[in-house]
Amino acid sequence: MFYSAKVALKSLWFYRWINLLSVLTIATGLFIYGVVLFSLYNLERATQRVPEKFTITVFLKNRTTEKQIQRLVDSLSRERIISRVKYISKEQALEELKDSLADAAYVLEGLDENPLFPSLEIKLNEDAFDKKETELFIKRLKGLEIVEDVFYGEDIFSTIKSLYQNFRVVALTLIVLFSVAVVFVCYSTVKILFFRRKEEIEIYKLLGATKGFIRGPFIFEGTFIGILGGLLASGALYTIFSVLKGFGNPEIPLMRTLELNPIIMVIVPVSGMVLGFIGSIIALGRLKY
Amino acid sequence: MIHFKNVTKIYDNITALRNISFSIEKGEYVFVTGPSGAGKSTLLKLIYLAEKPDEGIISIAGYSTDTLKDRAIPYLRRNIGVVFQDFKLLENKNVYDNIAIALRIRGVGEREIRERVHEALKLVNLRHKADSLPSALSGGEQQRVTIARAIVGEPTVLLADEPTGNLDADNAAGIMKIFREINARGTTILFATHNRDLYKNTGCRVIKLDSGNIVYDDLE
Repeated sequence: MFYSAKVALKSLWFYRWINLLSVLTIATGLFIYGVVLFSLYNLERATQRVPEKFTITVFLKNRTTEKQIQRLVDSLSRERIISRVKYISKEQALEELKDSLADAAYVLEGLDENPLFPSLEIKLNEDAFDKKETELFIKRLKGLEIVEDVFYGEDIFSTIKSLYQNFRVVALTLIVLFSVAVVFVCYSTVKILFFRRKEEIEIYKLLGATKGFIRGPFIFEGTFIGILGGLLASGALYTIFSVLKGFGNPEIPLMRTLELNPIIMVIVPVSGMVLGFIGSIIALGRLKY
Repeated sequence: MIHFKNVTKIYDNITALRNISFSIEKGEYVFVTGPSGAGKSTLLKLIYLAEKPDEGIISIAGYSTDTLKDRAIPYLRRNIGVVFQDFKLLENKNVYDNIAIALRIRGVGEREIRERVHEALKLVNLRHKADSLPSALSGGEQQRVTIARAIVGEPTVLLADEPTGNLDADNAAGIMKIFREINARGTTILFATHNRDLYKNTGCRVIKLDSGNIVYDDLE
């Protein structure tokens, strides 16, 4: 094992130009792979936190008594995920509507009675936000006897959710494609190196070398190429992100919310290693000796 | 040690060896001779299993071709040292590494490798060339490196396929002396040559091949 690793390292240096080309090609593929992971991670985070930006409006039934409303407000105020609850009576709602209609307030003339419902405006607690808990909470609200309807921008939320799901499909497709590309590059490199050393391998065979002894260095070499490509990709990802964040911070608010998860920085070289290993195994598996 | 029983080898409708049988005992020094195309190289290739027989059974040092699995071939080869006419040295490795590789393949530790390689180099009188690349050596020196590589693993059988074919008389005599020393240590040797001068008056056993048949098998 140690000997195989040593031979692989020597070969990496001996055939440095072929290997450098492969490492750069793999790094390019894994960089895109990393960008996809980065985008997926940040989009997921954004999707997770979207509903916290919305105010939940709970429309109450007209017959709801003051006592029932007060009880509901008290119980809602104790909820962990809620930061503020504001009661708006149907009269206040009408006033607000009139204010917002301003010059077109005449549309409300001739109304015999107030058609609006009393409501509660609920602001979510950003620090304790949990998407699942919020969804359950809304479902619970809808089930209350005094609640007419609940509005919380679900259309916008579901659009963003479906966008995220579509992007996830695209991202997974890209990840698979680039993984196959990296495997192919490692496969080709190992195959070229194998053929370049064919004469040497023939001699090893005649001297009694086992398949493991012959394959070992190539598997190590393919794996090393994968890791190096991955490290280069991770480095590039980190550098570009840092530079963009450094320059863009004051001007682009989006940059403030983006985050480069250290796990992605580890996933990329580890993926390179695994894909390099797979590429080498496939390359050697088809060769007879 | 080596047993051939009704062995036939055919290449593209040309019979290289035809139904041959013989046995070689441990410690024997046997010359395999005959004109070009007689089947000498084929016979050696069948012993180190570079080729497999089309018919018959070969058994070498306890391994038998009728039961031998492909994955066991490397272990059989470790019992056999081969000296090739065209040397088959690793051009990008120095003399030391060319010999050491035979032991690295066997998983021997570097410390022991160092001792055994130096011993083998001493036998072939090339200690001073340990760091040289094969390209910097003469033909005779390269052949001595090949011999050192073949014996460093202490094989029970040593095969030599026209090892003096590319050498002048002095170098050839030097190589023959080394082979006698190796045989004196108890290693079985099969030496393929078409040059009668090499085995004349040696008193060794000679197997003469012609068109794939054994036409003579007796002491010289």
